Amino acid sequence: MFWLRLIYSRLYGLLRKNRIEQEMDDEMRFHLLMRTRENIERGMRPDEAEREARRRFGNVGRIKDLARDIKGGGFMETLLQDLRYGARMLMRNPGFTLIAVITLALGIGANTAIFSVVDAVLLKALPVNEPDTLALFEWQAGSSFRTNGASGASYVPGPPGTKGDSRFRSDIFEKLRAQAQATDSPLSDLFAFAAVSGVTAVTSNQAETVNGQAVSGGYYAGLRVRPVLGRAITDEDDKPGAAPVVVLSHQFWQERFDANPAVIGQPLKLNRQFFTIVGVTPPAFNGALQVGYRPAVTLPLACGPLLRGEDAATAKADEPDWSLYLMGRLKPGATYEQARDSLNGAFQAAALAVMPPPGKVNEPAQLDPKEYPRLLAQSGSLGMQDMRRRYSPTIYGLFIVVALVLLIACANLANLLLARATSRSAEISVRLAVGAGRWRLMRQLLTESALLAALGGAVGILFALWGDSALLALTDKDTGVLPEGVDLSLNWRVLAFTLSVSLLTGALFGLAPAWRATRPDLATALKQSRRTTGAVSRLGKGLIVAQVALSLLLLIGAGLFIRTLYNLQRVNLGFNQENLLLFRLQPKQGGYKGERLLQFYQRLFARLDNLPGVRAATFERIPLIAHDNSFADILLPGETEQTAAEHNTARQTARENYFATMEIPLLRGRGFTAQDDQRAPKVAIVNQTFARKFFPDDDSLGKRITVIYTKREVEIVGVVADTKYESQRMEIKPLLYTPWLQEGDMIGTMHFALRTTGEPTALADTVRQVVRELDSNLPVTEITTQLARSQATLGQERLSARLLSFFSGLALVLAGIGLAGVLAWSVSQRTNEIGIRMALGAQVADVLRLVVWQGMKLVLLGLAVGAAGGYVLQRMLASKSFAPASWEAQKANQLYGVTLTDPMTSIVIALLLVLVGLLACWIPARRATKVDPMVALRAE
Amino acid sequence: MPTSGAKLLQGTLDMLILNALSLGPLHGYGIGQRIMQMSEDALRVEEGSLYPALYRIEQHGWITAEWGVSENNLRAKFYKLTRAGRKQLQIEEENWERLAGAVFKVMQTN
Repeated sequence: MFWLRLIYSRLYGLLRKNRIEQEMDDEMRFHLLMRTRENIERGMRPDEAEREARRRFGNVGRIKDLARDIKGGGFMETLLQDLRYGARMLMRNPGFTLIAVITLALGIGANTAIFSVVDAVLLKALPVNEPDTLALFEWQAGSSFRTNGASGASYVPGPPGTKGDSRFRSDIFEKLRAQAQATDSPLSDLFAFAAVSGVTAVTSNQAETVNGQAVSGGYYAGLRVRPVLGRAITDEDDKPGAAPVVVLSHQFWQERFDANPAVIGQPLKLNRQFFTIVGVTPPAFNGALQVGYRPAVTLPLACGPLLRGEDAATAKADEPDWSLYLMGRLKPGATYEQARDSLNGAFQAAALAVMPPPGKVNEPAQLDPKEYPRLLAQSGSLGMQDMRRRYSPTIYGLFIVVALVLLIACANLANLLLARATSRSAEISVRLAVGAGRWRLMRQLLTESALLAALGGAVGILFALWGDSALLALTDKDTGVLPEGVDLSLNWRVLAFTLSVSLLTGALFGLAPAWRATRPDLATALKQSRRTTGAVSRLGKGLIVAQVALSLLLLIGAGLFIRTLYNLQRVNLGFNQENLLLFRLQPKQGGYKGERLLQFYQRLFARLDNLPGVRAATFERIPLIAHDNSFADILLPGETEQTAAEHNTARQTARENYFATMEIPLLRGRGFTAQDDQRAPKVAIVNQTFARKFFPDDDSLGKRITVIYTKREVEIVGVVADTKYESQRMEIKPLLYTPWLQEGDMIGTMHFALRTTGEPTALADTVRQVVRELDSNLPVTEITTQLARSQATLGQERLSARLLSFFSGLALVLAGIGLAGVLAWSVSQRTNEIGIRMALGAQVADVLRLVVWQGMKLVLLGLAVGAAGGYVLQRMLASKSFAPASWEAQKANQLYGVTLTDPMTSIVIALLLVLVGLLACWIPARRATKVDPMVALRAE
Repeated sequence: MPTSGAKLLQGTLDMLILNALSLGPLHGYGIGQRIMQMSEDALRVEEGSLYPALYRIEQHGWITAEWGVSENNLRAKFYKLTRAGRKQLQIEEENWERLAGAVFKVMQTN
C-alpha cells in the first residue's frame, strides 16, 4: 500500500508543472492583475478592464515560449512543447514526412529483421533454469592426435596445427563423470547427449521419421528441467539392460498424441523396438543441441544400441565413436576454469589411452606433450556452438549490408533536413537574437528528428515482421543461412535493439543539420532575401558522394552473387537430372539385414521396374548434389598400411543399371551386372579423375586396390565419365563405385532414383503405395525430384543473391531519391539565377546541362570513391593479417566463376549507376527548364 | 565600438531595466511603470519584450529574483540589481553615450 502511494505521488510530481513553470505563471498572473486594476482606476468596467489587460499582454503562450527558450523551463513542459512543435512541423510538410518515414522504416526494418535472426540463432539462451551456471566442454589437440570415428566438420576454432571437436567418446565420458562426482569437484552435474536423427516412429499405425536424442541419466537433472507430465530420465534408466523408456517433446506429444495425459506408460515403437513413454517435457524446451534441432523423442544413452537393432543383452557399453556432447552444472561460486582444470587430467589420460595406433607412415607412435589433447570449458547457456559458428559469418555479413543501407537512408534524411533548416534560418536567427540558448534550439530541432526516427522505427517493426516471415519462407534446410526450426518472433531484446537503432539514427541525421542551423551567423541570416544561393553545402555534397560509393559496392556485391548463382546453375553435372524421381528408404532401421535386406530390395525393384511411367529404377547409397558424401582411404596395388601415403577417394554404391539410368557414359571396360553378387569376385568401377590421379601412366583396368576400412580388395573393371558429387560447386574428386550386392552390410539406407516418362512427382503416391504394400512400417522419406534437389543445394547462393540484390537495389533507390531531392531543392533556390540566365539567352539545353552536370559531378565522384574504397577493401580481405582465416575462406568460397575484382561486373554496375544518376538528375532538370524568366525575376 | 542592429535594440532595453532597478528592487510590472514614469510616458515597454529581457538579464547574473509581497499584499517576484549588474549598467551607459554622440555628429554634418 505504501509503495503504491509512493509510486503514485512520484508520477504525479513528474506530470505536474515544474516549479519554474509555476513561477512564470504566477508572475504573469500578478502582472495581469495589476494592469486590470490600473484600468479599473482609469474608469473601465471590470470585464473590459480585464479584456484590455489581456490584450496588452499579448500572446502569453508566446512569451512563455520565449522565456522558456532563455531560462530552460521545466523538463516535462519543454519536452511536451518540443514534441507538439515537432509534430506540427511534420504535419505541415506531409510529403517530406512520408518520404522520410518510409525511408527510415526500410532501413530500420531491415536492420531489425536481420537482428532478430542474429538474436534467434546466436544470442538466445537455453530455456532452462540458471543457464549461466551451465558449462559446455570441448577439446583441442595437436593435429597429429588420432581419433577414430569422428566424422563431419568441426567448428571448434583453434590456432593452425590443431584440431578440436565438441564430441567425446562414451568411455571417456564415464571417466569424466566419475571424476566430477568427487566431493571437491566444482561441478554438481556432468551429463552427455547426442543427436539421433532419422528415427522411425510408429504412432497410430503411421510410420514417420523423427529427430531424437540420446541422453545420459543426469541430463534432465543437470539442466534442471522438470517434465510437465510423468517423470524424466534418471541414472537408473541409463544402465545396460534397463527397461527401455522414452520422453516425448511437448510438440510431439501435442501433435501425435493430442496432448492426451494417458500416454504415460504406453508403448511407443521406435525403429522396431518398443519403448515405454515415461514423461513429457515443457513446451519451450528443445534440448541443448544445435539451434533449431528439435528432438521429438529422448531416450537413455544405454538404449542407443537398441535403436540400431542390436540385442540389448549383448550391446557393447562403450562406443568407439566420438559422438557425445558434454555439459556440466557449476556449483555456486565455481568458474569454468576450475571445472576445466578439475577434469583435464582425467580427460587427457583417457584420450591418450584410446588413441589408435599409427596407421600411416608419417604418423608418430608417441605424441609430443604439447600436442596432447586438452579440455576446454565455456558457458553453456547458449547450448551447442557448432551451428552458430557455421552460420555466424553469413549472418554478420548480412548485418553489415543492412547497416550500410541504413547509413544511406540516414544520409538522405540528413540532406533533406539540411535543406529544410536552411529555409528556416530566418526564424531561427530571430530567436537566437532574442536570446534563446543555442543548445535549447538544437534540442528542439533534434526532437523533430527524434520524432521522425521514432515513427520510422515503429513502421520499421512492421516491415521487419513482414521481412522475417519472408526470410523464413525463403529458407529451407539446405540454404545454410538459417537453421531449420528457428523461431523468429519479437522479444524484448529485438525491440530494445530497434529502439536504440532508431534513436541513434535520429541523432545521426539530426545532429549535423541542427548544429549548422543554429550557428550564430546573424548577419547573413537576417538578410531580407529568403532565397539562398542554392549551393549545396559541402556536407550535403559529401553525403551524396558517400551514398553513391556505398551503393556501388553493394551493387557490385549483388552482381557477383547473381553471376555466381547463374554459373552454378549451368554447371555440367555429368548426368541427366531431368525426370528423375528420388526418395529414401531406411530398411535397416526397420529391422532388415543380411539376406532379408537383399531380398527386400529385389522384391521392391521387381515392382518398381514394372511401374507404368517408370523407364528405369535404380538406387545409390549417396544421393547426388545433396551435400552428402562418403570417403574412404585406399591402398594402391603393392602398398601396405604402414608404407602407404594417404590416398583418399569418394565412395558410391549402386545398382547395376545405375550408369545407364543416370546416363553417365561408360568410357572403358564394363558396367556392373547382376552377376556381381556376394559370391562373385569383388569388383569396382572408378571415374576418370580417379583413373587419372592414381594411375596416370597406366591403364586402371584390372588393377586391384584395397579399401582400408573394410579391408576388402576390389578389382577395377570399368571407368566412367566424371560427375559432380556433393554439390555443383565442389571440384570433382576421385570416385570409387561398388555394386550393391557386394556391400551387403552398408546398404541399410539407400536413395532411390526413378527415371520417369513424364512429370516425376506424379508417381510419388504410387511409389508410397508400392512400399506400403511391401512393408507398412517403412516410411518413404525425402521424396523429391533431382532438379528440385539440385536447386535446393544452391539454396544458400540463391538466398544470398536475392537478399543482396534486394538490399542493394534498395540502397540504389534511396541514393537516387537523395540525389533527386537535393537537386530539386537546389533548383528551387536558384530559380532567380536560372531566370536571369534564360533572360540572357540560355537555351533549354543549357539549363538542362547545368543542372544535370551539377548532379552527375557528384555521381562520378562517388563512383571513383567507391572504386577506390572497394580496391582497398579487397586488399584488406586478401591480406591474411586482417581477416580471420575462416572468414577469408568463407568469402573466397562464396563466389564461383567470378573473382572479387571482376571487371565486367564492375563496369556494368558503374554504367547502371550512371544511368540511375542521370534519371535522378533529369526530373529536377526538367523542372528547371520550366522556369519562366519573367516570373522568376519578379518574385523576390 | 559599433554594434549590430539587433544587439542595439536589445542593449537599450537592458540598460533601461537596469537603470530602473538602480534605485531599488521592483517587480516586473513595477519596472514597466517606472520606465514609463521616468520617460514621462514616452517609452512604453510591452510585456512581450519586458519579460524575455528580464529573464535574459537574470541569466547573465546582472539581477537576482526573490518572491515577496507587493504594496497591495499580493505575492510578486521582485528583481534586484547585483554588483555585476551595477557594473554592466555603467558600461552600457558609456556605450550609449558614445553611440548617441556619434549619431548626433553625423546628423549635424548634413
